[in-house]
Amino acid sequence: MTTVATAPHFDADIYTDQALREPYGHYRALRDLGPAVWLSAHDAYAVARYDDVKHVLATPEVFRSANGIALNEPANAAILGCTLASDGERHAHLRRIVAHRLTPRALRPMREVVTDAADALVADLVARGSFDAVGDLARALPLSIVPDFIGWPEEGREHLLRWAGANFDSFGPLNARTEAALPQCGEMAAYGARLVREGGVLPGSLGAGVLEARDGGEITDEQAMMLMLDYLAPSLDTTISAVGSAIWLFGAHPEQWDRLRAEPELVPNAVQEVVRLESPIRGFGRLAAQDTEIGGVAVPAGSRVLVLYASANRDERHFADPDRFDVARPDALEQLGFGFGEHGCAGQGLAKLEIAALLTALARTVRRFEVGAPERALNNLIRAFASVPVTVHAD
Amino acid sequence: MRIEADYDRCEGHGQCEERAPEVFELDDDGNLVHHYEGRDLPAGLEDAARGAAAVCPVAALRVVETSPAPRT
Ligand code: HEM
Ligand code: SF4
Repeated sequence: MTTVATAPHFDADIYTDQALREPYGHYRALRDLGPAVWLSAHDAYAVARYDDVKHVLATPEVFRSANGIALNEPANAAILGCTLASDGERHAHLRRIVAHRLTPRALRPMREVVTDAADALVADLVARGSFDAVGDLARALPLSIVPDFIGWPEEGREHLLRWAGANFDSFGPLNARTEAALPQCGEMAAYGARLVREGGVLPGSLGAGVLEARDGGEITDEQAMMLMLDYLAPSLDTTISAVGSAIWLFGAHPEQWDRLRAEPELVPNAVQEVVRLESPIRGFGRLAAQDTEIGGVAVPAGSRVLVLYASANRDERHFADPDRFDVARPDALEQLGFGFGEHGCAGQGLAKLEIAALLTALARTVRRFEVGAPERALNNLIRAFASVPVTVHAD
Repeated sequence: MRIEADYDRCEGHGQCEERAPEVFELDDDGNLVHHYEGRDLPAGLEDAARGAAAVCPVAALRVVETSPAPRT
């Protein structure tokens, strides 16, 4: 690279209620401005184009996750040491322990559990006719599977969704949502610490695996606690968001639903397409460890970098007609909604399994989704609906 | 061109197989089988193999450009 440009500025706050409801106009403006854009309201460089997002994710030696994931110091300090917020060798070590039981191979025994649960849930809701696609469908499946799988004891489960939501809110800039969330993240951490201290996770679960690794001397108490949070925090809201968005999208695009019903082998591709178009996680941060550049734009050492998966996934430089929902999109697999590279989502096998099981069960009987007025849930990190009222018409 | 697979990093997500089934396969145990391990891909499979490397969610596949075999 011969010339290094300075970053263009963008002054709007991209975390206001309005911006969280309608983020895509801002993202397009950021993409049009350049490969890295200085967000003056948030003291960070936004990376919004597909190629540059992929470059940052593929260069973890330069763009670090420790002290980098959140846009504010207190949250970065709170998550320091979990898989999500660690780098290099330490990350590889933790990742092996975390990912080990989440690989598609390890999940095989879960396939039947998830499929049966999805079938039963869908049969029940179809019989009811009208329901809330978020509360009754999107939340119900992960909540009936994931806490057991992770091994969270019954006591405390009532807080899971609130804590997980707070965890994601806390990664934003220090706005009112972040400030309200931080104390709740503390509650979740205290709970995780207690699990590690006193045991009480269900036998045979992921959590039990973490405690075994601790007992075997592979990881410390402190690390075990952070790994509990790695499982707890990102495993619910993300999947819930994707399922809520899927129903909303299929309600608005009945021809896509017809296509999926006619070609159920498209379900895995449709899952990728939903995550592309309505990426559940808008973006995570990184910390530039050295002077560097992104697409020819200078980014000095110590800068915060905001990696916008949700924008990369609608980049017209990469995806043809990116705002269109197309279950048969040939390159949907290239979407970055699960991240990419070293930190690429460890739980994507489980998430895809859950979402695909629900869509498959619905496709068998539901002819049409009649969607009423949905309500947005506002979170700094997660794009989701609070409710999507729906009436289903069965065959 | 070759593809180097990092077997420690591969978690068996299978996206490479979806993109380039002639090059990558998951065996019955879910382990990655790389049919062109350590050797150059035939020209007709290069694009598919590049695509597979690009969609591996954990970046376990690396494209290595090798100069074309010398003609004698
Ligand atoms: C549709 C659902 C999901 C989406 C969109 C999603 C998205 C993501 C993204 C974008 C990252 C990358 C973080 C980064 O670049 O720093 C990530 C990491 C991670 N996800 Fe997911 N996720 C989902 C479901 C899940 C589930 C169900 C679990 C657990 C069971 C999970 C566990 C994790 C973990 C442990 C990491 C950290 C990996 C690492 O840093 O090495 N995720 N996820
Ligand atoms: S896509 Fe990557 S992780 Fe998945 S099987 Fe292929 S190499 Fe392994």
